[in-house]
Amino acid sequence: MFNFQNFKHKYIRLWLSSMRLGDWLVLVLALSFVVYLFTALWTNSHATKVQIKLGDKIYGAYSLNQQRDVHVHGSIGETIIRIADGRARFLRSPCHHQYCVHQGWLSRAGQAAICLPNQISLELLSEHKPYDSLSY
Amino acid sequence: MRYLFFSLFLLLTSCFKEPLYHSQSYVFGTLVDISIYGESDERARQLAEHVLQDFQSLHNRLHAWKPISAGKPSELQQLNTAFEKANQPISISPDLAAMLIDATQLSEKSNGLFNPAIGHLIGTWGFQRDEFTPLGVDEVAIKNLIHAQPRMTDLVIKNNTVYTTNPTVKLDLGGYAKGYALDIASSYLRQQGVKNALINIGGNIIALGQHGDTPWRVGIQHPRKPSAIATLDLPDGWAVGTSGDYQRYFMRDGKRYCHLIDPRIGYPAQGTQAVTVLVPPSSHAGVLSDVASKPIFIESAENRNQAAQAMGVTDFMVIDAQSRIFVSNSMAKKLHWIEPDVQFSKF
Repeated sequence: MFNFQNFKHKYIRLWLSSMRLGDWLVLVLALSFVVYLFTALWTNSHATKVQIKLGDKIYGAYSLNQQRDVHVHGSIGETIIRIADGRARFLRSPCHHQYCVHQGWLSRAGQAAICLPNQISLELLSEHKPYDSLSY
Repeated sequence: MRYLFFSLFLLLTSCFKEPLYHSQSYVFGTLVDISIYGESDERARQLAEHVLQDFQSLHNRLHAWKPISAGKPSELQQLNTAFEKANQPISISPDLAAMLIDATQLSEKSNGLFNPAIGHLIGTWGFQRDEFTPLGVDEVAIKNLIHAQPRMTDLVIKNNTVYTTNPTVKLDLGGYAKGYALDIASSYLRQQGVKNALINIGGNIIALGQHGDTPWRVGIQHPRKPSAIATLDLPDGWAVGTSGDYQRYFMRDGKRYCHLIDPRIGYPAQGTQAVTVLVPPSSHAGVLSDVASKPIFIESAENRNQAAQAMGVTDFMVIDAQSRIFVSNSMAKKLHWIEPDVQFSKF
Protein backbone atom coordinates (compact mmCIF):
# COMPACT_ATOMS: atom_id res chain seq x y z
CA MET A 1 0.00 0.00 0.00
CA PHE A 2 1.20 3.48 -0.78
CA ASN A 3 2.49 5.21 2.34
CA PHE A 4 1.66 8.89 1.99
CA GLN A 5 3.47 9.85 5.22
CA ASN A 6 6.63 8.18 4.04
CA PHE A 7 6.40 9.77 0.62
CA LYS A 8 5.96 13.23 2.14
CA HIS A 9 9.05 12.91 4.31
CA LYS A 10 11.14 11.69 1.41
CA TYR A 11 9.94 14.47 -0.81
CA ILE A 12 10.70 17.19 1.74
CA ARG A 13 14.14 15.74 2.39
CA LEU A 14 14.86 15.74 -1.30
CA TRP A 15 13.66 19.30 -1.65
CA LEU A 16 15.73 20.49 1.32
CA SER A 17 18.89 18.83 0.01
CA SER A 18 18.52 20.62 -3.32
CA MET A 19 18.42 24.06 -1.61
CA ARG A 20 21.59 26.09 -2.20
CA LEU A 21 23.05 28.86 -0.07
CA GLY A 22 21.58 31.42 -2.45
CA ASP A 23 18.13 29.90 -2.06
CA TRP A 24 18.36 30.16 1.70
CA LEU A 25 19.53 33.75 1.40
CA VAL A 26 16.56 34.63 -0.80
CA LEU A 27 14.23 32.94 1.65
CA VAL A 28 15.67 34.78 4.66
CA LEU A 29 15.63 38.10 2.83
CA ALA A 30 12.05 37.60 1.71
CA LEU A 31 10.95 36.72 5.23
CA SER A 32 12.68 39.69 6.78
CA PHE A 33 11.14 41.96 4.13
CA VAL A 34 7.69 40.67 5.10
CA VAL A 35 8.46 41.29 8.79
CA TYR A 36 9.69 44.80 7.91
CA LEU A 37 6.55 45.57 5.92
CA PHE A 38 4.41 44.26 8.73
CA THR A 39 6.01 46.48 11.37
CA ALA A 40 6.24 49.51 9.10
CA LEU A 41 2.72 49.44 7.73
CA TRP A 42 0.64 47.47 10.16
CA THR A 43 1.47 48.85 13.58
CA ASN A 44 -0.87 51.04 15.56
CA SER A 45 1.31 54.10 15.38
CA HIS A 46 0.99 54.46 11.64
CA ALA A 47 -1.38 57.34 10.97
CA THR A 48 -3.38 57.23 7.78
CA LYS A 49 -5.68 60.23 8.06
CA VAL A 50 -5.98 63.61 9.69
CA GLN A 51 -9.37 64.47 11.15
CA ILE A 52 -10.21 68.16 11.30
CA LYS A 53 -12.93 69.30 13.68
CA LEU A 54 -14.57 72.71 13.64
CA GLY A 55 -16.39 73.34 16.92
CA ASP A 56 -18.12 70.09 17.79
CA LYS A 57 -18.54 69.00 14.16
CA ILE A 58 -16.20 66.85 12.09
CA TYR A 59 -15.09 69.16 9.28
CA GLY A 60 -13.45 66.38 7.36
CA ALA A 61 -10.98 63.52 7.40
CA TYR A 62 -8.19 63.78 4.86
CA SER A 63 -5.72 61.16 3.74
CA LEU A 64 -2.16 61.98 4.79
CA ASN A 65 -1.00 60.52 1.52
CA GLN A 66 -1.28 63.78 -0.39
CA GLN A 67 0.07 67.30 -0.65
CA ARG A 68 -2.69 69.71 0.24
CA ASP A 69 -3.63 72.87 2.13
CA VAL A 70 -7.04 72.81 3.77
CA HIS A 71 -8.65 76.19 4.43
CA VAL A 72 -11.10 76.22 7.35
CA HIS A 73 -13.18 79.21 8.41
CA GLY A 74 -13.41 79.19 12.21
CA SER A 75 -15.07 81.56 14.64
CA ILE A 76 -12.33 84.22 14.40
CA GLY A 77 -11.05 83.73 10.87
CA GLU A 78 -9.36 81.46 8.37
CA THR A 79 -7.00 78.71 9.47
CA ILE A 80 -4.80 76.87 6.99
CA ILE A 81 -3.89 73.25 7.67
CA ARG A 82 -1.10 71.75 5.60
CA ILE A 83 -0.86 68.07 4.71
CA ALA A 84 2.44 66.82 3.27
CA ASP A 85 4.71 63.77 3.45
CA GLY A 86 2.36 61.76 5.63
CA ARG A 87 2.15 64.59 8.18
CA ALA A 88 -0.19 67.45 9.03
CA ARG A 89 0.13 70.79 10.83
CA PHE A 90 -1.45 74.16 11.49
CA LEU A 91 0.26 76.37 8.93
CA ARG A 92 -1.53 79.68 9.53
CA SER A 93 -4.02 80.76 12.15
CA PRO A 94 -5.68 84.08 12.99
CA CYS A 95 -5.29 83.44 16.74
CA HIS A 96 -3.20 85.69 18.92
CA HIS A 97 -0.75 83.30 20.55
CA GLN A 98 -0.17 80.90 17.65
CA TYR A 99 0.12 77.96 20.07
CA CYS A 100 -1.44 75.77 17.39
CA VAL A 101 1.13 76.76 14.76
CA HIS A 102 3.97 76.26 17.25
CA GLN A 103 2.83 72.68 17.79
CA GLY A 104 4.45 71.91 14.44
CA TRP A 105 4.07 68.72 12.45
CA LEU A 106 1.95 65.83 13.67
CA SER A 107 3.04 62.49 12.26
CA ARG A 108 1.93 59.72 14.61
CA ALA A 109 -1.50 58.28 15.25
CA GLY A 110 -3.16 59.84 18.27
CA GLN A 111 -1.21 63.09 18.04
CA ALA A 112 -3.45 66.11 18.26
CA ALA A 113 -3.26 69.89 18.12
CA ILE A 114 -5.97 72.32 19.13
CA CYS A 115 -6.63 75.96 18.38
CA LEU A 116 -8.99 77.01 21.18
CA PRO A 117 -9.61 80.59 19.95
CA ASN A 118 -10.68 79.42 16.49
CA GLN A 119 -12.18 76.14 17.81
CA ILE A 120 -10.35 73.94 15.33
CA SER A 121 -8.64 70.68 16.20
CA LEU A 122 -6.49 68.21 14.30
CA GLU A 123 -6.11 64.57 15.21
CA LEU A 124 -4.16 61.90 13.39
CA LEU A 125 -6.14 58.72 12.98
CA SER A 126 -5.12 55.12 12.44
CA GLU A 127 -6.91 51.80 12.51
CA HIS A 128 -6.37 51.58 16.25
CA LYS A 129 -6.19 54.55 18.60
CA PRO A 130 -3.38 54.30 21.16
CA TYR A 131 -5.68 55.86 23.80
CA ASP A 132 -9.29 56.99 24.28
CA SER A 133 -8.64 60.52 25.57
CA LEU A 134 -5.74 62.81 26.47
CA SER A 135 -4.84 64.44 29.82
CA TYR A 136 -3.09 67.76 29.14
CA MET B 1 -10.95 24.16 8.95
CA ARG B 2 -12.92 24.84 12.10
CA TYR B 3 -10.33 27.46 13.08
CA LEU B 4 -10.55 29.05 9.68
CA PHE B 5 -14.30 29.53 10.07
CA PHE B 6 -13.80 30.82 13.58
CA SER B 7 -11.27 33.42 12.53
CA LEU B 8 -13.44 34.38 9.55
CA PHE B 9 -16.30 34.88 11.98
CA LEU B 10 -14.10 37.09 14.19
CA LEU B 11 -13.02 39.09 11.17
CA LEU B 12 -16.64 39.63 10.14
CA THR B 13 -17.85 40.66 13.59
CA SER B 14 -15.01 43.13 13.88
CA CYS B 15 -16.51 44.94 10.90
CA PHE B 16 -19.61 45.85 12.90
CA LYS B 17 -19.47 49.27 14.54
CA GLU B 18 -18.72 49.16 18.24
CA PRO B 19 -21.35 50.88 20.42
CA LEU B 20 -19.20 53.93 21.14
CA TYR B 21 -20.61 57.45 21.07
CA HIS B 22 -18.17 60.34 21.04
CA SER B 23 -18.76 64.08 21.20
CA GLN B 24 -16.46 67.05 21.37
CA SER B 25 -17.49 70.60 22.32
CA TYR B 26 -16.05 73.84 23.59
CA VAL B 27 -17.30 74.67 27.09
CA PHE B 28 -15.45 76.15 30.12
CA GLY B 29 -13.23 77.94 27.59
CA THR B 30 -11.72 74.56 26.78
CA LEU B 31 -12.37 71.31 25.00
CA VAL B 32 -14.92 68.90 26.47
CA ASP B 33 -14.77 65.36 25.21
CA ILE B 34 -17.44 62.79 26.13
CA SER B 35 -17.34 59.09 25.23
CA ILE B 36 -20.23 56.80 26.11
CA TYR B 37 -19.98 53.07 25.50
CA GLY B 38 -22.79 50.55 25.30
CA GLU B 39 -25.77 52.87 24.86
CA SER B 40 -27.73 53.53 21.67
CA ASP B 41 -26.42 56.50 19.70
CA GLU B 42 -29.60 58.46 20.29
CA ARG B 43 -29.66 57.95 24.07
CA ALA B 44 -25.93 58.64 24.34
CA ARG B 45 -26.40 61.88 22.40
CA GLN B 46 -29.18 63.01 24.77
CA LEU B 47 -27.12 62.14 27.85
CA ALA B 48 -24.08 64.00 26.52
CA GLU B 49 -26.29 66.97 25.66
CA HIS B 50 -27.55 67.10 29.24
CA VAL B 51 -24.02 66.88 30.66
CA LEU B 52 -22.89 69.71 28.37
CA GLN B 53 -25.82 71.89 29.48
CA ASP B 54 -24.84 71.30 33.11
CA PHE B 55 -21.28 72.32 32.25
CA GLN B 56 -22.47 75.45 30.47
CA SER B 57 -24.58 76.52 33.44
CA LEU B 58 -21.70 75.88 35.87
CA HIS B 59 -19.45 77.88 33.55
CA ASN B 60 -21.93 80.76 33.52
CA ARG B 61 -22.23 80.77 37.30
CA LEU B 62 -18.59 80.26 38.25
CA HIS B 63 -16.64 82.15 35.62
CA ALA B 64 -14.17 84.47 37.33
CA TRP B 65 -14.06 87.23 34.74
CA LYS B 66 -16.36 86.65 31.78
CA PRO B 67 -19.93 87.94 32.29
CA ILE B 68 -22.79 85.68 31.12
CA SER B 69 -23.71 88.51 28.75
CA ALA B 70 -23.02 92.24 28.65
CA GLY B 71 -23.83 93.78 32.05
CA LYS B 72 -24.80 90.39 33.53
CA PRO B 73 -22.04 89.16 35.84
CA SER B 74 -21.78 85.54 37.00
CA GLU B 75 -22.74 84.54 40.55
CA LEU B 76 -19.05 84.41 41.41
CA GLN B 77 -18.36 87.85 39.92
CA GLN B 78 -21.23 89.35 41.94
CA LEU B 79 -19.71 87.78 45.03
CA ASN B 80 -16.28 89.23 44.26
CA THR B 81 -17.75 92.70 43.70
CA ALA B 82 -19.55 92.43 47.04
CA PHE B 83 -16.30 91.37 48.77
CA GLU B 84 -14.66 94.62 47.72
CA LYS B 85 -17.47 96.76 49.10
CA ALA B 86 -18.48 95.49 52.50
CA ASN B 87 -18.10 92.64 54.92
CA GLN B 88 -21.78 91.88 55.27
CA PRO B 89 -23.02 88.32 54.75
CA ILE B 90 -24.13 87.71 51.17
CA SER B 91 -26.61 84.97 50.25
CA ILE B 92 -25.25 82.33 47.90
CA SER B 93 -26.74 79.15 46.50
CA PRO B 94 -26.28 76.02 48.66
CA ASP B 95 -24.06 74.25 46.12
CA LEU B 96 -21.72 77.26 45.85
CA ALA B 97 -21.52 77.39 49.66
CA ALA B 98 -20.60 73.68 49.69
CA MET B 99 -17.97 74.29 47.01
CA LEU B 100 -16.39 77.14 48.97
CA ILE B 101 -16.28 75.08 52.19
CA ASP B 102 -14.70 72.17 50.29
CA ALA B 103 -12.20 74.44 48.50
CA THR B 104 -11.24 75.99 51.84
CA GLN B 105 -10.49 72.57 53.32
CA LEU B 106 -8.41 71.60 50.29
CA SER B 107 -6.58 74.92 50.43
CA GLU B 108 -5.69 74.32 54.09
CA LYS B 109 -4.54 70.77 53.29
CA SER B 110 -2.22 72.19 50.61
CA ASN B 111 -0.75 74.71 53.07
CA GLY B 112 -2.23 77.47 50.96
CA LEU B 113 -0.49 76.45 47.72
CA PHE B 114 -3.91 75.74 46.22
CA ASN B 115 -5.45 79.13 46.85
CA PRO B 116 -8.63 80.16 44.97
CA ALA B 117 -8.65 83.46 46.92
CA ILE B 118 -5.83 85.03 44.86
CA GLY B 119 -8.01 86.17 41.96
CA HIS B 120 -6.44 89.66 42.15
CA LEU B 121 -2.93 88.20 41.72
CA ILE B 122 -4.04 86.10 38.74
CA GLY B 123 -5.64 89.21 37.25
CA THR B 124 -2.44 91.24 37.82
CA TRP B 125 -0.55 88.73 35.70
CA GLY B 126 -3.14 89.04 32.95
CA PHE B 127 -4.43 85.48 33.10
CA GLN B 128 -8.04 86.49 33.61
CA ARG B 129 -8.57 87.17 29.93
CA ASP B 130 -9.24 85.05 26.88
CA GLU B 131 -6.30 86.42 24.93
CA PHE B 132 -3.60 87.41 27.36
CA THR B 133 -0.76 89.54 26.12
CA PRO B 134 2.32 89.84 28.28
CA LEU B 135 1.67 92.63 30.77
CA GLY B 136 4.37 94.63 32.49
CA VAL B 137 4.99 93.12 35.91
CA ASP B 138 3.26 95.35 38.44
CA GLU B 139 5.67 94.71 41.30
CA VAL B 140 3.97 97.11 43.68
CA ALA B 141 0.57 95.48 43.20
CA ILE B 142 2.10 92.01 43.70
CA LYS B 143 3.92 93.10 46.84
CA ASN B 144 0.77 94.64 48.29
CA LEU B 145 -1.27 91.50 47.55
CA ILE B 146 1.35 89.21 49.09
CA HIS B 147 1.37 91.45 52.16
CA ALA B 148 -2.45 91.41 52.38
CA GLN B 149 -2.41 87.56 52.23
CA PRO B 150 -5.86 86.78 50.80
CA ARG B 151 -6.75 83.26 51.95
CA MET B 152 -9.76 80.96 51.83
CA THR B 153 -9.86 80.98 55.63
CA ASP B 154 -10.71 84.70 55.45
CA LEU B 155 -14.16 83.60 54.29
CA VAL B 156 -16.90 83.16 56.85
CA ILE B 157 -19.45 80.74 55.39
CA LYS B 158 -22.63 80.10 57.34
CA ASN B 159 -26.21 79.11 56.45
CA ASN B 160 -25.65 79.69 52.75
CA THR B 161 -24.21 83.14 53.32
CA VAL B 162 -20.63 84.27 53.02
CA TYR B 163 -18.54 87.30 53.86
CA THR B 164 -14.84 87.96 53.96
CA THR B 165 -12.74 89.43 56.73
CA ASN B 166 -10.15 90.40 54.10
CA PRO B 167 -11.27 92.71 51.28
CA THR B 168 -8.39 91.57 49.03
CA VAL B 169 -9.97 88.13 48.65
CA LYS B 170 -11.10 87.56 45.08
CA LEU B 171 -12.33 84.09 44.19
CA ASP B 172 -11.11 82.29 41.07
CA LEU B 173 -12.25 78.65 40.94
CA GLY B 174 -10.18 77.96 37.80
CA GLY B 175 -8.39 75.08 39.55
CA TYR B 176 -11.53 73.58 41.05
CA ALA B 177 -14.55 74.00 38.80
CA LYS B 178 -13.55 71.54 36.07
CA GLY B 179 -12.98 68.80 38.61
CA TYR B 180 -16.28 69.64 40.30
CA ALA B 181 -18.02 69.42 36.93
CA LEU B 182 -16.49 65.95 36.39
CA ASP B 183 -17.98 64.72 39.68
CA ILE B 184 -21.39 66.21 38.77
CA ALA B 185 -21.31 64.57 35.33
CA SER B 186 -20.17 61.17 36.57
CA SER B 187 -22.84 61.01 39.29
CA TYR B 188 -25.50 62.12 36.78
CA LEU B 189 -24.50 59.43 34.28
CA ARG B 190 -24.43 56.73 36.97
CA GLN B 191 -27.88 57.85 38.13
CA GLN B 192 -29.09 57.42 34.56
CA GLY B 193 -27.81 53.86 34.55
CA VAL B 194 -24.83 54.50 32.27
CA LYS B 195 -22.18 51.86 32.94
CA ASN B 196 -19.36 52.98 30.66
CA ALA B 197 -18.25 56.53 29.89
CA LEU B 198 -15.16 58.70 29.76
CA ILE B 199 -15.45 62.45 30.36
CA ASN B 200 -12.60 64.85 29.62
CA ILE B 201 -12.84 68.54 30.54
CA GLY B 202 -9.75 70.40 29.43
CA GLY B 203 -7.47 67.47 30.26
CA ASN B 204 -9.15 66.42 33.52
CA ILE B 205 -10.63 62.98 32.96
CA ILE B 206 -12.93 60.66 34.90
CA ALA B 207 -13.85 57.09 33.94
CA LEU B 208 -17.04 55.10 34.38
CA GLY B 209 -16.77 51.39 33.69
CA GLN B 210 -14.64 50.58 30.69
CA HIS B 211 -14.31 50.63 26.92
CA GLY B 212 -15.84 47.28 25.96
CA ASP B 213 -13.61 44.47 27.20
CA THR B 214 -10.67 46.69 28.14
CA PRO B 215 -10.25 49.60 30.56
CA TRP B 216 -10.42 53.15 29.26
CA ARG B 217 -6.95 54.17 28.20
CA VAL B 218 -5.74 57.72 28.71
CA GLY B 219 -2.75 59.47 27.17
CA ILE B 220 -0.69 62.01 29.13
CA GLN B 221 0.45 65.01 27.12
CA HIS B 222 4.17 65.58 26.64
CA PRO B 223 4.76 69.17 27.85
CA ARG B 224 7.03 70.06 24.93
CA LYS B 225 5.89 67.81 22.07
CA PRO B 226 2.57 67.50 20.24
CA SER B 227 2.07 63.93 21.43
CA ALA B 228 1.53 61.81 24.50
CA ILE B 229 4.50 60.90 26.70
CA ALA B 230 2.77 57.88 28.26
CA THR B 231 -0.56 56.12 28.55
CA LEU B 232 -2.31 54.55 31.50
CA ASP B 233 -5.46 52.52 32.11
CA LEU B 234 -8.16 54.44 33.96
CA PRO B 235 -10.30 51.92 35.89
CA ASP B 236 -13.93 52.50 36.91
CA GLY B 237 -14.29 55.62 39.08
CA TRP B 238 -10.68 56.78 38.78
CA ALA B 239 -9.78 60.29 37.67
CA VAL B 240 -6.64 61.83 36.23
CA GLY B 241 -5.59 65.46 35.95
CA THR B 242 -2.61 67.30 34.54
CA SER B 243 -1.36 70.82 35.24
CA GLY B 244 1.06 72.20 32.70
CA ASP B 245 2.94 75.37 31.83
CA TYR B 246 2.12 74.94 28.12
CA GLN B 247 -1.62 75.68 27.88
CA ARG B 248 -1.84 79.18 29.35
CA TYR B 249 1.41 81.10 29.41
CA PHE B 250 3.30 83.95 27.81
CA MET B 251 6.96 84.34 26.94
CA ARG B 252 8.98 87.44 27.76
CA ASP B 253 12.73 87.84 27.31
CA GLY B 254 12.96 84.12 26.66
CA LYS B 255 11.35 83.30 29.99
CA ARG B 256 8.09 81.42 30.35
CA TYR B 257 5.36 82.80 32.62
CA CYS B 258 2.61 80.22 33.16
CA HIS B 259 -0.84 80.64 34.68
CA LEU B 260 0.02 78.79 37.91
CA ILE B 261 0.94 81.47 40.44
CA ASP B 262 2.92 80.63 43.59
CA PRO B 263 0.76 82.35 46.27
CA ARG B 264 3.81 82.73 48.57
CA ILE B 265 5.71 85.02 46.20
CA GLY B 266 3.02 86.15 43.77
CA TYR B 267 5.00 85.01 40.71
CA PRO B 268 4.30 82.19 38.24
CA ALA B 269 5.80 78.87 39.38
CA GLN B 270 9.06 78.34 37.47
CA GLY B 271 10.36 74.89 38.42
CA THR B 272 7.89 72.64 36.65
CA GLN B 273 6.62 71.82 33.15
CA ALA B 274 3.85 69.41 34.09
CA VAL B 275 2.32 67.42 36.95
CA THR B 276 -0.11 64.53 36.48
CA VAL B 277 -2.06 63.00 39.37
CA LEU B 278 -4.11 59.82 39.38
CA VAL B 279 -6.92 59.66 41.94
CA PRO B 280 -8.83 56.56 43.15
CA PRO B 281 -12.65 56.40 43.17
CA SER B 282 -14.58 58.64 45.57
CA SER B 283 -17.42 61.14 45.31
CA HIS B 284 -14.62 63.73 45.10
CA ALA B 285 -12.29 62.08 42.62
CA GLY B 286 -12.86 64.73 39.95
CA VAL B 287 -12.23 67.67 42.29
CA LEU B 288 -9.12 66.05 43.73
CA SER B 289 -7.73 65.29 40.25
CA ASP B 290 -8.08 68.99 39.42
CA VAL B 291 -6.85 70.48 42.71
CA ALA B 292 -4.07 68.11 43.81
CA SER B 293 -1.75 68.74 40.86
CA LYS B 294 -1.45 72.46 41.72
CA PRO B 295 0.43 72.29 45.05
CA ILE B 296 2.80 69.66 43.60
CA PHE B 297 3.41 71.91 40.59
CA ILE B 298 4.09 75.01 42.69
CA GLU B 299 6.12 73.38 45.49
CA SER B 300 9.93 73.32 45.29
CA ALA B 301 11.64 70.14 44.07
CA GLU B 302 12.59 68.85 47.51
CA ASN B 303 9.06 69.27 48.93
CA ARG B 304 6.99 67.87 46.06
CA ASN B 305 6.61 64.47 47.69
CA GLN B 306 5.26 66.06 50.89
CA ALA B 307 2.90 68.23 48.87
CA ALA B 308 1.48 65.09 47.23
CA GLN B 309 1.20 63.31 50.58
CA ALA B 310 -0.59 66.28 52.12
CA MET B 311 -3.21 66.04 49.36
CA GLY B 312 -3.52 62.28 49.88
CA VAL B 313 -2.12 61.53 46.41
CA THR B 314 0.12 58.48 45.90
CA ASP B 315 0.07 58.21 42.09
CA PHE B 316 1.77 61.18 40.44
CA MET B 317 4.32 62.22 37.84
CA VAL B 318 6.35 65.44 37.68
CA ILE B 319 8.27 66.80 34.70
CA ASP B 320 10.50 69.59 35.94
CA ALA B 321 11.79 72.70 34.16
CA GLN B 322 14.85 70.73 32.93
CA SER B 323 12.48 68.13 31.38
CA ARG B 324 13.54 65.54 33.97
CA ILE B 325 10.83 63.02 34.79
CA PHE B 326 9.99 61.96 38.34
CA VAL B 327 7.41 59.29 39.06
CA SER B 328 6.01 57.94 42.33
CA ASN B 329 6.53 54.22 42.93
CA SER B 330 2.92 53.21 42.46
CA MET B 331 2.52 55.43 39.37
CA ALA B 332 5.60 53.87 37.76
CA LYS B 333 3.81 50.51 37.69
CA LYS B 334 0.82 51.99 35.87
CA LEU B 335 2.50 54.04 33.15
CA HIS B 336 3.21 52.76 29.65
CA TRP B 337 5.82 54.98 28.01
CA ILE B 338 5.26 55.89 24.38
CA GLU B 339 8.93 56.18 23.48
CA PRO B 340 11.20 53.30 24.47
CA ASP B 341 14.05 53.97 26.94
CA VAL B 342 12.45 56.87 28.79
CA GLN B 343 14.73 57.95 31.63
CA PHE B 344 12.96 58.72 34.88
CA SER B 345 13.67 58.80 38.61
CA LYS B 346 11.42 57.61 41.39
CA PHE B 347 10.35 59.67 44.37
